[in-house]
Amino acid sequence: MRLHRSLSRTLVFAFLCLSALSCAPEQPENSERKTSVKKKTGVLLLNHGSRSERWRENFVKLEKNVAEKVLSIEGIDGIQTVFMEHASPSIADGLKAYDREGYSDIIVIPIFLTIGSHMFDDIPTIIGMKENPASMEKLKLEGIERYIPNAKTHLAPPLDYPDILKTNALRRTLALSKNTEKEGVVLVGYGSTAFDAQWTELFENVGSYVCEKSGISDFTIAWCGHIAHYSPDSTTAAIHRILEKNKRALVLPLLVSSSEQFQIEIIGGGIAAVTDHQSRVRYKPDAILPDPDLEQWIVDTAEQYAAEIMESNETRQVSAPD
Amino acid sequence: MTQTTGNTFRKVNTVLHRDLGYFFAALILAYSLSGIALNHVDEWNPDFIISKNEIELKGSYKKNDISPELIRDFSAKAGESSYRLYDFPSSRQVKIYYKDATLMVDLEKGEGLYEKISRRPVFYQVNVLHRNSVDWWKWASDVFAAMLIIITITGLLMLRGPNGFSGRGKWFFGAGFIPPIIALVFQQL
Repeated sequence: MRLHRSLSRTLVFAFLCLSALSCAPEQPENSERKTSVKKKTGVLLLNHGSRSERWRENFVKLEKNVAEKVLSIEGIDGIQTVFMEHASPSIADGLKAYDREGYSDIIVIPIFLTIGSHMFDDIPTIIGMKENPASMEKLKLEGIERYIPNAKTHLAPPLDYPDILKTNALRRTLALSKNTEKEGVVLVGYGSTAFDAQWTELFENVGSYVCEKSGISDFTIAWCGHIAHYSPDSTTAAIHRILEKNKRALVLPLLVSSSEQFQIEIIGGGIAAVTDHQSRVRYKPDAILPDPDLEQWIVDTAEQYAAEIMESNETRQVSAPD
Repeated sequence: MTQTTGNTFRKVNTVLHRDLGYFFAALILAYSLSGIALNHVDEWNPDFIISKNEIELKGSYKKNDISPELIRDFSAKAGESSYRLYDFPSSRQVKIYYKDATLMVDLEKGEGLYEKISRRPVFYQVNVLHRNSVDWWKWASDVFAAMLIIITITGLLMLRGPNGFSGRGKWFFGAGFIPPIIALVFQQL
């Protein structure tokens, strides 16, 4: 009887000890975890967005093509593609996902040609870096969610810094060309009302480069975005300017991706309005994407920012007080 | 159709047309007003009033000259006592942000463009509805569109006799197709 009671007590004691142990908070494996904060960095590939499935597909493919290289960069743990408007996931969706997974830093890589209202004001406002009054109102009206993440955001510059646009435009021009001596090039871009000078300068640089390298003597610029009221007229007028001096016009859409609205309706409509366009205009409704150089630019940009983030972390840890 | 059934149908038709008409009158007016406003979106901003003011800053500046003190001086000329942030769109421009305004300064020319934004009363609100800027509103908008169809059909069937649909009504109904057909023909030319 006594043996039985003592055995029961021992069992109850052992059960209580085990319960107490299982309820105790988990301890870190070593004391170092307590002191060093693990950085977790994600890349957000951001584009304008469109209702067009073709547009979306190009960016999904872009992410697929760069994902392996980007994720192999030291310090980068995630990559996502997000759309500013007209498609999902939105920028806010992407930022929230990184927040949920405990990311400390987000490298935002905008796949935009150059500076414009979206690049300079809207995107920084959406991710909480700015509070541009006009953007705040416009975002509310257009139902674009603004989200300030817990993670630190690092906004990379647009595409116009490297020579990607020049080589891309040259490659596509030569693919369209039949006889460079009798041809002129029409570069069609989205344009920007607020940053017209910068857009014009960028397109002039690209046009000059294409002419210099291809032997084509003439180029001109047309806009198809808001600045041109989404009208084909600017494209038609530009083609006429080229055809005044040349036998044939090569029309090149300098748009990041393809959509039915821009490549088919607006630019295609502008070409269709030119008499004898079938014999005098050469056009392929393509876009800057896909482009291996652009993919490399994404990898390089991610690498550069990841290194800066790691460096800033080390500096912070060294200079942090005990 | 017997006379009693016919009378009941007409009574229901009239009641539907009248009461749906009353209920949706405000929304019909709102959408019509917004429709006119958005039709002319290229000629004016239907959502916001943006007041612009050009400011002379005397002298030219370089990007490196820009300091918080200088930004405060520029702001004072625009009538702003404090700013939120400033940023450089290019090496020759600086943009200063305020609560509901911005000042874009051309550093070389020493000129600034001050823009103040405010919502255009009534138009902003009706445009929010028309653009479905509220997420769930598109479903309400679908119901509204279905009700407009009912209001239209009940309107067509309301009267009998020479002024009804079978009388002069059918001619006016047919004539209503002419403007859109002309527009579509022109679009194809």
